[in-house]
Order: sequence, then C-alpha cells, then structure tokens
Amino acid sequence: MTEPTDPLRVEYLSPVEGLEVVRQSPPPGAASFSATYVGPAGWGFDPDGREGSARLVNQLVTSAAGRYDRVELARELDRLGATLSRQCAPESAEVTVWGPASEWERLTSILADVVLRPRFDPSDVSRARRQMRERQLREATQPASRAERELLHAIFPPDHPYRETGLGSPRSLVRLSRTDLVRFHREHYTSGDARLVLTTPARSPAVERVARRLFRGFENTRSVALSVPPASRPRTTERSVNLPGRSQVEVRVGGASISRTAPEYPAAFLANEVLGGRPLLSRLFQRVRERGGLAYHASSELEAMRFGGYWIAQAGSGADRWRRVVPMLRQEVDRLRNETVGTPELERTRQSVIGEIPLALESTAEAHELAVEVAYYRLPSDYWLTWPARLKAVRPSEVRQAAAIALDRRSSVTVFAGPVRNASRSPAPDGRRR
Amino acid sequence: MTGPRVPRPRLRSFTLENGLRVVLAPADMSPTSSVWVWYRVGSKNEWPGITGASHWVEHMLFEGSPRYRKGEIDRAVVGVGGQLNAFTDVDFTAYFSTVPRDHLSVPLDIESDRMTRALITDEEVSRERTVIHSEREGSENWPEFRVEEELYQLAFRMHPYRWDPLGSRVDIERLTAEELRGYYARFYGPRNAILVVSGGFDAAPVEREVRRRFSRLPSTGDDVSVREVEPEPRGERRSELSGPGTTPYLQIGWRSPALSDPETPATMLLDTVLGGETRIFAAGAGWGRAPEHPSSRLYRALVDTGLAVRATSEWRPRYYPGLFTIQAQAAPGVSLDRLERAIEAVVERLARSGPTPRELDDTRAKVRQSVALAYEGASRTAFRLGYFSVLRSPEYEDELFRAVLTTSANEVRDRARGLFRPETRVVVRYTPDGGAGDD
Repeated sequence: MTEPTDPLRVEYLSPVEGLEVVRQSPPPGAASFSATYVGPAGWGFDPDGREGSARLVNQLVTSAAGRYDRVELARELDRLGATLSRQCAPESAEVTVWGPASEWERLTSILADVVLRPRFDPSDVSRARRQMRERQLREATQPASRAERELLHAIFPPDHPYRETGLGSPRSLVRLSRTDLVRFHREHYTSGDARLVLTTPARSPAVERVARRLFRGFENTRSVALSVPPASRPRTTERSVNLPGRSQVEVRVGGASISRTAPEYPAAFLANEVLGGRPLLSRLFQRVRERGGLAYHASSELEAMRFGGYWIAQAGSGADRWRRVVPMLRQEVDRLRNETVGTPELERTRQSVIGEIPLALESTAEAHELAVEVAYYRLPSDYWLTWPARLKAVRPSEVRQAAAIALDRRSSVTVFAGPVRNASRSPAPDGRRR
Repeated sequence: MTGPRVPRPRLRSFTLENGLRVVLAPADMSPTSSVWVWYRVGSKNEWPGITGASHWVEHMLFEGSPRYRKGEIDRAVVGVGGQLNAFTDVDFTAYFSTVPRDHLSVPLDIESDRMTRALITDEEVSRERTVIHSEREGSENWPEFRVEEELYQLAFRMHPYRWDPLGSRVDIERLTAEELRGYYARFYGPRNAILVVSGGFDAAPVEREVRRRFSRLPSTGDDVSVREVEPEPRGERRSELSGPGTTPYLQIGWRSPALSDPETPATMLLDTVLGGETRIFAAGAGWGRAPEHPSSRLYRALVDTGLAVRATSEWRPRYYPGLFTIQAQAAPGVSLDRLERAIEAVVERLARSGPTPRELDDTRAKVRQSVALAYEGASRTAFRLGYFSVLRSPEYEDELFRAVLTTSANEVRDRARGLFRPETRVVVRYTPDGGAGDD
C-alpha cells in the first residue's frame, strides 16, 4: 500500500497499549517535526473541591519529567532547538513537542517522558500554584476573560464541564496537594481515549516502532468517562460586571451550541463564518467596525466540542460606545436565523474558507493542528481532503436552519464587563438584569 | 566573509529606479505566496500633535485606493483564501498578505496601488477615529501597556521613542484627515519601502510583474532619519502607577545602544542569559517569544524563589538608542521593593562575574538552533527577510549570527557593566488598587 504523503490525509496506525497513533506527512519542503499527545485530562475531570487540577497537571508535566529536572529539560530543548507547549480544555489536555525533523525520535522520547513520567517536584508544584493564583486574579479583573467566565457560568448548569475555565478557586488551589496532582495524572494521562499524533516524514513502520518502544509504559490504562449533564437552555439574560478603572467594555453574547460531530456542523461552521468567524469579511466586522466605527475587534466563535459546545458574538468598545454595540451583535445573530443568507455572500465565505486550506500547509506546526483535530474527534483520515466538498454541498437554507440550532439567540446570555457603572441604561429590550 | 551562515533561501534582490528595494525568495514547493511591504516609517517620524499618525495611516491603507474602494482590499485577499494584516512599530510599518500561490498577483496589485495613492478621505478618517480609540482602550485595559508607555515617556524627553505607536489619546482625538494625507504623501513611497515576496513562484516572471507594477510609481518618500538626539540621562527616573490589576508589576529600563552599535551582539547575549531568548534569534514555531524560560537567570532568581510569577528581559533592535528592559510580575503577597532588590542583585551579579561557561555554551547553542528552522513557510520567510532588510539587509542576519556566536563571556560581562548603570535606570512600578469587580 502506498503511504499517504498528502498532509491533508492522516493515517491511523496500530494502537500502542490502547493509545491511538496517528501519522501525518509534513508539508512539502518543511523541515520541522511536531508530535502531540492529547488525552482525556481536561478540567471537566477535576474532582469536586480540587478544581484547577487539570490545568496544574498540564503545566507541570511540561516542567520536569523522567531524568530531567526543570532546568535540564529546558536546556535539552534549547540544545535541540525544540519547544514544548501545552493546552488544556474542558474535555482534554494536550502536550506538543516541536523541533527539527531530523531529531524526531529524540523529541518523541521527550514527549513520552513528559506524558508518562512527570516528576511533580515539590518546588515546581508550589511555583505552578502561585502562577495559577495570579491567573485567577487576572481572570477576575481583566474585562475580556471576566466576560467570558460570566458568560459560561450563565449558559451552563453547575457540574457541566463547559461551565468553568479550569482555574479553580483560591480555596481549591490551596487544597490541592502534590498527591492529588499525581493521582490526577495517573487517572487521566492514559492510553484509553487518547491519541498520539506525529507529523513526520518517517514512514509508518518506523513511527509504529518508535511509538511502541516509547509509550508501552501506558499498560492500556483507561480513563473515567466525562460526566456531561444536559446543557439547559437559559432564558435570555444579561449580566454586567463593573470593573472600574478599565478603558474598554468587553461585550459577549452567547449560548449553548452543537458538538463537533453533529450532522449540521458544516452548515453551522459556515453560519459562524458569515456572522463573525471570517476576519474582515464577516457581518459583525463589517457592521460594528467598518460601518459603525465602534470597535477595534468584533467577531464570533463557534466552540464545537465532543459533547456539545457554545457560541459567542463579541466586541470590545469604549465606555461611551459599548451600548450601541450590543444591539448590533444581537441583531446580526438574529438575522442569520430570520433571513436566508444570500447566495453571493455564502459563496464568498465558502470560497474564502476553501481557498485558505493551503495556508494551513505553510509549516509543519500549522498542518499538525489539522491532524490533531482529526485524531481527537476520530474523524475519517481523508477529512480535510473532503472538507471542501462538504462545504460546497451546504445550501443557504441549511445555513439558516443550522444557525437556528447552533447560534440560537432566543436562549442566550449577554455579558458586559468593564467600566459599566451605569449599565442599567443599557439597551435591553428582551433582557433581564441580574 | 567566512563563518557560519543562516540557512536562508536563495534570493533575487534588485532596486527599481524609483528607489524601491525588492527581495524575491522563490520556493518551488510552497503552496502559498507571501507579499510584504516594509516602510521605514514608524512613530519615530511623528512629532507632538500628530503622534499615532503612522498607525492611523496603517489603518487607512485598507480603506481605499484608486483600484480598490473601501472593503475591496479585504474582499480581494480573503476572497481567495488569503490572509492580510499590518503592524506599526516605532521604526517601521509592515503590510502583508499571504495567499494560495496561484493568486500572487492579487497582493502585488494592491500594494502597488496603495503605495503612493491611498485615498485618505475625511469621511473614512472620521469613522476610523473611534476604531483607533477603541484599539488604544483595549491596550489600556492591560497594566503592562500602561507601564511600558510610562517607562518610555520617562526615559525619553527629546527623542520620538517617547510615545507609543498608538499615539496619545489627545492626538487621536484631534488629528485631521489633512494632516494624515500630508504625512502619508511625505514619507510613504518607493524610496522608503522594501517589497518582499516569498513562496511558490518562479522568480523571472514575478520580477517582470514587480517591475511592471511598481516601476511606474513616482520616486517619493522623504528622509526618515531622526535628528533629535536624546541626551545622556544624569540620574535614575522613577514613577509609580496604580489601577486595576492582579499583583504588583514593574518594568526597569536602561538606556541601550542602537542596532548599529558594535555592542549589539553582547547585548543580545545578555538578553538571552537574563530572559531566556532574544527577539531576533528566538526558537519555536510561533511568532512571539515563549512565555517561560526556566533556565534563564531571571526566572531562576525570581520565579523559582517565589518572588514573581513571571520575569523576563527584553531588548528590541532599534535604529536609535532605546531601552533594555526587565519586567516582573510579583507573586501574590510579594512587595515591589523586594522584587526590585532581587532584580538588582541579578544584574549586579551578571555585571560582576559575567555568564558562566555553561550558560554561554547553552546560549550559543540556542541561537544556533533557532535559525535552523526559521525560514519554514512563505509567511515566516518573508517576515524574516523583510525584518532584516528594514533593519539593514538580509545578509545582516549572518553578521549578527556570527557575532553572537563569537562574543566572549568577558565581552558580555563588560556589556552588563556598561548597560546596567544606575544613572540611566528608569523604573515604573504598578500597584493594583484591588477589587475584582462588582456585579
């Protein structure tokens, strides 16, 4: 069988002790290598009273592991010209190593060390806890992060994994011991429901051999399943958080949405691109910034995950202007549901999305992100090759129907965070103030 | 000149009669092409009353030109799947588009159309004013922005480095369309521009296309050198700010040499030893500096010991003498006095003993490795070529690279002694005034 060399096609290899191994070829001419472990270690798994575990563990696994203390690990990466990065989300946590393709085995060995053998040195734990406490303060006092936190709290019910941002509380942080973190790591950095994704010119048998040698320590561990209560549909509400002394008010309108594997995802994806996901072309950018001159940033996001998701329409505007932005965000979301998007607008958006695919192949690191997404959601190996065809099949009426489900403002929340002392004067024709 | 060289792609460089410098970097296999125009115009070319003009012009260059009316530039590039943006620095401004390789003519046409003929209308300037206010307000939400702005205002009294490229609130409010048109007409043009094209194309036809599109432009662009010379400071300067925030934060700056100074390589090594990396030679697949460098001196002395949650240094390559800065965010419960004393101890030790042999070896290895993958992808290639071209030339990267690799520990120590002088120190401290907001 010919080995796939198109970076838009991934290859599912033989699992190692239950760990899914996925290989992708790098873009032509690229000389770097990326590998990611993504596993069921997001903050949705934080034990009660131990909130913050997932993020702390995610930070600490990249600090010191195996024979490397923190400084030695940093030096080893520097010597190789490599970097380690991490990412934590409600459902999953990732660790990625990047560096020269010629060193791919050594880099994969470092990744195996950090995933399987983190040290959790007591001094590192203390440091990470201090840093997390400062992040908690930042989240509470910075308008953008505070607005997002308030929005998620209003959208999702207690115990829902998407309700939190993973930072925990001052109390949970103090309570978290090294033992708690070691336990969290043991239970969640597992082979079960996890993926190892490698973007490398190395051929499949070599990748399988290296993965088997380095990751056999997993012993087919299984993680516990994520508990996801149904996302209640909140009544349309408003929340305002006055943060005096700030210059700009961050406005967020949002609600619960669909999962990444929902059948209407391609149409919902296009609906979001039309609304605010496509930079410069989108309705929110055009109306709020280009025609209204009211904000520097105005956009929307569709966060579709495994068990559901949420959408956000957002902008940041001055204390004297933000009230005019709020109805614009709401009206544009409503318009997607109430009017069928015109064919030229949809076609322009679609062409832009499809045309952009080569830009994701500029470097190994960018192409690798595509492979991680495919692997995490267990999508077909040719998912990105067939993505244009799926987008082309979406009709304007389907965009409208998908918007009604995936970007539904009838059960949405509006949050303003910043210098909003007189928020009671805000336009709120359909809102309840807290 | 012999010695190690940065593994750059093969270039074709030429200068048009109107003064436009052109750098082409074809890469057969690239699926994209990237077009960057770098102007040697930045906030250094403004004066009190029109601060923020370069940044405002940056916005206006997306708002229309003879062939591209408002919104058409965005639609032309994004419509073919491309990405475009721009940024303004104190020394320069850059405009860029990356497109699928078959669409290279789109950004070339746009850049040739707006290089000297952008339409800066009264109506669009008026509308954009609130957008620019909003951009500044967004920055002001961050204590780090407030501190840095204060630091440069304190450090410079004559030189235009004293204001931020965003401009002052007062100037944003009062700048007129006529002033912006005058500023644009005076400085923007082929004589102050560098066009860099990289990615999937054949050099010969693209050279012909560049000559056809850009040769007809008038040879405009006034001298952009700055006459003001900042006098040597005679004593430490300090400022205390307060406002919303998390924990106390500070920045300390020392007057640092211009890029052309022979001390530059040693300064870059100082930056790497103290903060973990230096801007020009930073490793990684991303565009910015990595958030943490656990092996750096500042990290070990401040973050490991529980005094700070973040600590780093930064030296930015500048045409004129600028600042070498250290930034630190206190850990909860730690005072700024204690943090500042700890920073002083770190720089004093470095000035006394210089880097250890192991530190220097590690630093050199880091710099050597950082360039190995620096030219992956058309966008990064064009960025890097343009950056060194606007500083001096693409080959200047080799010069700096070699110099950094051969600078000795004693030279780094001597540089630390020359740099970290109390009489050139500027300190801005930020104390949060508490309150996480009320619902």
